[in-house]
Amino acid sequence: MIRFCLSNLKPRKFIFMRKYWWKILGVILIIYSFTLGLLVPLKPGISSIDPGSMRTASSYQMEIVGYNTFYTRAQDAVRVWLKYDSIHALAASKTRVVNDRSLVADFDIPKYLPTNDRVGVVSVIVDDDYNGFSVVPSTVFITQDSVDKDIVAGSSAWKQGRIGNIHSKDQFNFPFRVQLSETIRNLYFHVPFWFSMFIIFIAGITQSIGYLSTNKLEYDYKSMSFTLVGTVFGIIGLCTGMIWAKDTWGTYWSWQEVKMNMTAIALLIYLSYFILRHSFDDDERRARISAVFSIFAFAAMIALLYVVPRMVSSLHPGSGGNPALGADDLDNSMRLVFYPAIIGWTLLGVWMASLIYRMQVLRDKLYDY
Amino acid sequence: MARNMITMKKSFSILLSLLFLLPTSLIAQTNNQDFMRSIGKMYVVYGVIIVIFIVLIIFLIYLDRRLTKLENQIQDK
Amino acid sequence: MNLVREISILLQKEIKIEWRQKHAIGGILLYVVSTIFVVYSAIKSVTPNVWNALFWIVILFASVNALVKSFVQENSSRQLYYYTLSNPTAIILAKIIYNSGLLLLLSFLSFAAFTLFAGNPVKDTGQFYLAIFLGSLGFSITFTFIAAISAKANNSATLMAILSFPLVIPIILTLLKLSANALRLLQDTSVWKDILTLLAIDLLMIAMAFILFPFLWRD
Repeated sequence: MIRFCLSNLKPRKFIFMRKYWWKILGVILIIYSFTLGLLVPLKPGISSIDPGSMRTASSYQMEIVGYNTFYTRAQDAVRVWLKYDSIHALAASKTRVVNDRSLVADFDIPKYLPTNDRVGVVSVIVDDDYNGFSVVPSTVFITQDSVDKDIVAGSSAWKQGRIGNIHSKDQFNFPFRVQLSETIRNLYFHVPFWFSMFIIFIAGITQSIGYLSTNKLEYDYKSMSFTLVGTVFGIIGLCTGMIWAKDTWGTYWSWQEVKMNMTAIALLIYLSYFILRHSFDDDERRARISAVFSIFAFAAMIALLYVVPRMVSSLHPGSGGNPALGADDLDNSMRLVFYPAIIGWTLLGVWMASLIYRMQVLRDKLYDY
Repeated sequence: MARNMITMKKSFSILLSLLFLLPTSLIAQTNNQDFMRSIGKMYVVYGVIIVIFIVLIIFLIYLDRRLTKLENQIQDK
Repeated sequence: MNLVREISILLQKEIKIEWRQKHAIGGILLYVVSTIFVVYSAIKSVTPNVWNALFWIVILFASVNALVKSFVQENSSRQLYYYTLSNPTAIILAKIIYNSGLLLLLSFLSFAAFTLFAGNPVKDTGQFYLAIFLGSLGFSITFTFIAAISAKANNSATLMAILSFPLVIPIILTLLKLSANALRLLQDTSVWKDILTLLAIDLLMIAMAFILFPFLWRD
């Protein structure tokens, strides 16, 4: 009896796994991206520095507000520098930890800057053994009253504070950016939808080509299902992007923003695809003409992808003067969550598409009888 | 009134953090900014996640209605 | 050789049909003039920037109106007759050539009307003519193909606008930039790049129309 059960069970279990493994994988990857994307803390960073401008030959108490920092847990004293360039830096004469998040550093600014310009920009570096080091690039402006012609005095004064013994922490953390702070996590909840949308649209186009070359209605159903899911993903991407944009750029919809308008146009094209599908009575004709339209529209979208970025600059990362997230910001810890999220959502999208496809096939059978 | 708001905010944020596995280190650092930007703009991330689920649920409802229609048609046959 | 002859015969047929329905093209021209008139009585003074946008919007709507009928005017029995006589490549080519000629004429006439009613802010006339030429080519390819698609559907006129407007956005954006340059609204050193882009889009569209039209035609 038991033997019979086992022999019966084993192949069935195997078939179950063979059939559903990709769905399980997709769900696991999405859960993984949600858990890690929400649980992993950001790197300790600095969220604000006061004062932002100084004058030479005077003393300042700089208040530094940290983010995710635990300054009281530092064993040694917290060290703070003003960094002018690779050889010129000024160490704080005294630092005082107020609490975990805030820090006061005393600076005696020398009479001259190591430059001929009236104004110099310095970066702030904070380092301790518990939190590791963090840098705020080009943040404090220092004005000098008179310019030292041969720079010698300024140079020697600024050479005293050598930056050394930096503690770098190799923990699994996401990078900290002042403008983004926690919203950097949206990389796992907004961007993967665009990637999976494009993968799913391309899958739909291949099914359209398949229909035109074989004239089998299954291909049309598949193409329609993929396009529907791609459109849903596009809507999700647009809505999530609008919330993020309201926070980072200040408006829900930016006409200056290229990628946003481009995807809106792509969505318009695909919505008109569904309107086209609804205006036919004959299945064969609907399949053929919507396949033709989707291929033609895809070619137009390629043109759009090429043309639009050349017209206006984008607020999105990767284009000039953008403080948000750039290619160099996507560090390894983020990749570890980002790519699985793309794969996971794509698999979930294929699953959703397969449900619509099966429904369509059932309907087809219903009308055949 | 203001204190009431703050306690509400705090309890709400604790609730959300339980729901969404918020890193506990964040709860301590409530800034005096508007709601969406408090605790390191974490609510923007929540908003994004909620939108994902809302759109997916609307899609599910749409599918459900289409399936019901199909079932009715099969029964009518 | 055979294809060229076929195309020329089809072109002659198109021109003959158009000549018999002179009121159609007259209607389009009247549409252009009345649009310009309405717009200019609404906005009294027009900056070159607005002129540029208005010009292309009027051209866009006029061309949709002109081309929506290109596959509807022939009834289905006559289409079947064409289908047995000629190959689809010749038909789409003839339609595209004829429609670009029509749009070119339309654009120049509206340019004349704009000059008459609103003045002529164009500084670089050659470049503007080039923009008009490339634009009417691109419009005619896209709109002809979409007209062929929507002619197969039930409510073709609405469908035509819905389907074609998102598709011409890349063309219209490039055109706006090119003609803004011709109006000296912006100084661009890489005009030839825009021209090449426009040409590339036109080529891509015409290639897609070539490949896909036989599938549409077969009915």
